[in-house]
Amino acid sequence: MARGRHILTYGLAVVAGIVAGGGSALALSGLFPGFGAMSDGTIDIEGWKADFSAGSDAADPYTRARIARHGLLALARSEAVYFTRNTDDQGKRLREQCRYRLSGGTMPAQWWSVTLYDADSRLPMNDDGALSIDASRAGEQAWSATIAPQAPGEGLWLSSRKGGAFDLTLRLYVPDARLVEDPAGSLIPPRIERLDCAGGEG
Amino acid sequence: MNRWIGPFVTAAVAGLAAHVFTVQAAPAFIMGRAMDAMEQRGVQLHAFSLAPRTTPQTQTVVRPSPDLAYSVCRFDFDQLDGPLTARMAAWDAYSSVSFFDAETNNFLTLRGDGVAREVVLHGPDAKAQTGARSPTARGLILIRRLAPTAADYDRVTRISASDLCTADPSPAPPPALEPQP
Repeated sequence: MARGRHILTYGLAVVAGIVAGGGSALALSGLFPGFGAMSDGTIDIEGWKADFSAGSDAADPYTRARIARHGLLALARSEAVYFTRNTDDQGKRLREQCRYRLSGGTMPAQWWSVTLYDADSRLPMNDDGALSIDASRAGEQAWSATIAPQAPGEGLWLSSRKGGAFDLTLRLYVPDARLVEDPAGSLIPPRIERLDCAGGEG
Repeated sequence: MNRWIGPFVTAAVAGLAAHVFTVQAAPAFIMGRAMDAMEQRGVQLHAFSLAPRTTPQTQTVVRPSPDLAYSVCRFDFDQLDGPLTARMAAWDAYSSVSFFDAETNNFLTLRGDGVAREVVLHGPDAKAQTGARSPTARGLILIRRLAPTAADYDRVTRISASDLCTADPSPAPPPALEPQP
């Protein structure tokens, strides 16, 4: 009887340990469904977060797991760097119910793009054909685009329809060497100004 | 009190082991599932397949770029006796061919810069002095081409017919480049 209770106690201890250890690993690596792509990141420029070790075996195990989940097949930093942001300039969560003005200028890279993803790191399931803007459409100088669930009257548009609580990924392909060496000193990232929200919340 | 020390230590050891195993195994597990999914969608082994133009309806991996055209080749050196030749046909905008091992590591990338690129890839146990070596037997080769418009993607469709991923030791030379507007 006592021996049976002894085995049961140790069995429960093993199960509890596995659940706690495995669960904490999934949480810290952003592997739970619905957990976003945002890591603490080693780089944070005005809310745009990046980890330049993406795609490299030099990345720590948690970053590698997170990248595998949210950015599988990412390139090494010499070829491309990726910044992700899920808040506006006031620090509030980006969401489908609001309209935003995204604006920026020249980027220190051969080519750049900004793409909108939902909380599962997928392109939102709409057929607006407006989920990305890139250097070829925005031009070389100052540019701006509207992020909204409906098309604006004019100008560039990023559709957030069916995006829910979304985020943006800024891709910089063939980054200038100074961007890799000193990201904060060489990148002026796009601004995200909230214009209004459905229901009146400003 | 002392009778709980043993179960507590057991739980702690099991938890630590599960934590380390989960974090370490996650990239290979996710990559393996992605490669299996590609196989089920018809992406051949040792041949490039051009993915449909990226839209919400056609996306197959997380965070695809709608501005890029992707061609992918799966490789498995356990099913090869020799090296693999990967060739990316020339493209007049941004292009690159990148190599990923089964642990998700990007172990080699070549930029197109408007000309064709070719790499002879060897398995992890090969003794070859030339070419590149994959750290793992299985992996993926991915070509990215900047193609923001439907017209650009249509041009990629024609160009990508000259991409090559083959175990043939003497692959045919690349065809003459077609004029690009």
